[in-house]
Amino acid sequence: MDLGLLAQYVMNGLMLGMMYALVAVGFTLFFGVLDIIKFSHGDVLTVGAFTALATFIALSALGIESSVVQLLVMLLAAIGAMAFLGAVIARAFVLPLRSAPPLNTLLITLMIGTVLREMVRLFYPDGANPKPFPRLLPADSVNLGGFNLRLDNVILLVAGALVIVCLQLVLNKTKLGLAIRAVAQDEETTKIMGVNFNRIVLVTFAIGSGLAAFAGVMNGLYYNEINFGIGLYLGVVGFSAAIIGGLGNIYGAILGGFLFAALQTIGAVSLPFASAYKDVFAFAVVIAIMAWRPTGLIPEKTSERV
Amino acid sequence: MTGKSKTSVASILPGAVTLVLATVYLIVLLRVENQATILALLGVGIAAVVMANWLGWFASVGQSFGEREGPLGLLAVGLAVVVAGYFHGDHFVLLLLCTVLLYTLATLGLNLQFGFAGVLNFAGASFFGIGAYTAAVLNEHTSIPHLFVLLIGGGMAALIGSLLLLPVLRTRGHYAAVVTIAFALLFKTFLEVNDLLGGPQGLQVKSMVLFGWSFNNNIEIGSLELSFYFAYFIASVLLLVGAFILVRRLERSWIGLNLDALRLDETAAQCFGLNIVRWKVTAFLLGNFLIGVAGTLQGFVTGFVQPNSYTFADSLIFVSILLLGGIGNPWGVAVATIIVVIVPEKLQVIQEYRFLLFSSLVIMVLLFRPDGLLPRSVRNYFPGWRP
Amino acid sequence: MTQTSPDALLTVQALTKRFGGLVALDQLELEMYRGEIIGLIGPNGSGKTTFFNVITGLYGADGGNVRFGGADITRSTPQAVYHAGISRTFQRSRLSLPLSIFDNIMIGNHKRLSQGVWFNIMRRGAFRAEFAASFEEARALVEVFDAPLADRMLEPVGGLPMIDRRRIEICRALISRPKLLLLDEPSAGMTHDETKQLMDDILEIRDRIQELSIVIVEHEMGVIERITDRCIVLNFGRKIADGTFAMIAADKQVQEAYLGLQ
Repeated sequence: MDLGLLAQYVMNGLMLGMMYALVAVGFTLFFGVLDIIKFSHGDVLTVGAFTALATFIALSALGIESSVVQLLVMLLAAIGAMAFLGAVIARAFVLPLRSAPPLNTLLITLMIGTVLREMVRLFYPDGANPKPFPRLLPADSVNLGGFNLRLDNVILLVAGALVIVCLQLVLNKTKLGLAIRAVAQDEETTKIMGVNFNRIVLVTFAIGSGLAAFAGVMNGLYYNEINFGIGLYLGVVGFSAAIIGGLGNIYGAILGGFLFAALQTIGAVSLPFASAYKDVFAFAVVIAIMAWRPTGLIPEKTSERV
Repeated sequence: MTGKSKTSVASILPGAVTLVLATVYLIVLLRVENQATILALLGVGIAAVVMANWLGWFASVGQSFGEREGPLGLLAVGLAVVVAGYFHGDHFVLLLLCTVLLYTLATLGLNLQFGFAGVLNFAGASFFGIGAYTAAVLNEHTSIPHLFVLLIGGGMAALIGSLLLLPVLRTRGHYAAVVTIAFALLFKTFLEVNDLLGGPQGLQVKSMVLFGWSFNNNIEIGSLELSFYFAYFIASVLLLVGAFILVRRLERSWIGLNLDALRLDETAAQCFGLNIVRWKVTAFLLGNFLIGVAGTLQGFVTGFVQPNSYTFADSLIFVSILLLGGIGNPWGVAVATIIVVIVPEKLQVIQEYRFLLFSSLVIMVLLFRPDGLLPRSVRNYFPGWRP
Repeated sequence: MTQTSPDALLTVQALTKRFGGLVALDQLELEMYRGEIIGLIGPNGSGKTTFFNVITGLYGADGGNVRFGGADITRSTPQAVYHAGISRTFQRSRLSLPLSIFDNIMIGNHKRLSQGVWFNIMRRGAFRAEFAASFEEARALVEVFDAPLADRMLEPVGGLPMIDRRRIEICRALISRPKLLLLDEPSAGMTHDETKQLMDDILEIRDRIQELSIVIVEHEMGVIERITDRCIVLNFGRKIADGTFAMIAADKQVQEAYLGLQ
């Protein structure tokens, strides 16, 4: 295989890894504060991507043509709306079930995911079919000996990395971040020390869902197409990535995201004839990872009291 | 303190009356075509149920079923045959009834896994599909008798399901959920890209032949002509009755107790000698077998199989049926299946919206009535038995 | 009460359990005889529950060994420990709340019930006989604790008050006729009177089943004084005293570690 093609694969892998990592971080945040898995996470991503698309159409109708302005407004709208949606889901469905068996939370978020997915499919105009997503990033490219390094891809990767760095700063350097980490460590003590537990949960869900919206827009810009099922796919993969990294561990989630993308890319490189089976391969990897290391490469803190 | 008292004849009445009324209602609902009338009928039905609930009627119905389940079960089967007999020439209604029966059968399998053993399975429709595809393939390429095809279909679902056993057994709760979701997505994608299995278009299934008799032809008895679906209806009834008795007996035995114990507290169950792996495997494989058998017959009934019939959303429909009906209660499963299958078929405006509708309904149930419409009652090892 | 049967039922040698850097059990030595009632006491976090969890196979030991009735059970699974004749209750009651009293007790009877799939599903007549016999046995056991409760065998446990739940948990542990019963804070969450009632019940059971040995973890010193033959005091996973209640109550080290704090 020539180097250019290989570089192409690497670039694609990095892009996938970034998206998986962003979704995985959300799962890890939720698990940290509430010890639950929010199965609607992927579908929030879908709704975020469609919100961005709808915003773009609205802006175009208003005659705003500058792609920088369009992109910024789309991101603001998608992230803001999804942060709100995430907090609403936490407030209305997750927190009320805290005293019920954990299985019920799992089921209810799974069903919320279905509701969101179906709403996009049914109520977004012609939502059952894939929708073109606008190319808003400069399409210039630099030729590096057989490999076209595209500027838009570089921008997406850098933006993704910046978002993760910002999240790190928020978690590690702000009072809010301290509160989130404290709740994740020990809920009871944190409550006694006067942290408003519910507020922290809502904020965490808002942050995680905002990240999902960002990943959704990124997905749209990279593939120039979105459909109502992207979130389901990214949700399952992102969750597996979070597990590879050990749930509750942010660095692990990021690592897991890139590791998963690497596995997938290696699969694609070594089995080029089976490209139709690439999704089958991805899901098979998910199942295999669960069989091999059900609680991740970095083991989850298990402390069942007997 | 004797088991049978003179009230035993009276105790059967609330259950029997309810069954008969429900049958009449169902016949009317199935007959009516006008959408506005159907809507009105559904309104009447809901009002009647709310009213009866308010008057405490369902408590006596529950008691009735608790004490005289055998005779009432027999009556239910008889009434199902009456409904089918009433619509004997109507292909559409009979197909619908078959679907209800086979979905109930599949959900009973899910109930074994999820309701009793607590093993999550969000790939129910996939295992259902494995059965149906088995029917299509074996039918096309072999001359294996169709009775065996049913068993092989169930076996295939159990066999392929056993590939998931390791991850499902090694993980708990949400992890196992993701394994089965990943499988559901994998399965549908696999069917779509695999040309041998017909790709997105799927495959034809030739009709069933049992004991030299083809299910393809309409049945003529004297001057009476029955739809060919009537034969499938009878086959579905027989399978469902068998599975129902099996699941009920399992529940009402030490095995049912084992499954409950490991679902409710695995650690405590271990400390009392329970072999967790053995019982989880038993429940998972047996559940998949039932789902697979149901899917196989469904493949014969519909005459074709395609990836779009076995999606993750369809798996969630099975889960919804279980949650709506009441986890662990086979009667609840039957009632919920009737609602989930028949209402969207009759009320065409909601057909397209059914996934949305039922997932919203399940959210409501989880928030406000987590035990489902007909909650499972405390185990009674022999109906009507009292200490 | 003096020891009449000198053969050891349970022998624990140099048993050690670590959680990361924390040593929960440190070179623990213990010997107990048939028919004995031992009180296991010590401050919170001194390793009492950990001791139960290691004995019953829920936690693997990091060192030392446990012998029960002559057999080494150090590396046994919880299932094997139960089959060998040790049953337990849990500090935080672990009954299956939606299940009936009878079902909960039968969970403890696992090793004496037929577990074959064919038997359970197809041989309903034989199953019925086994069921009826088990029911009578469970009922009689509950009657020892509380007669009115024995008439409510098919009611879900979730609706019962704490004392009844504790009783049922003890019945669940006793129904399989174990040789050793481990009681983990049976009086937790109960009033003073309820505690007294429950202890009367336990003593009655002991009188009926002479060979039964009991290890009881308890914070109520009145209970310990009343029902135990011998006490073992733990502190930071180490045994700091072993003797009758009067002896350990007079022990300087114990007073410092535990009683002095009261």
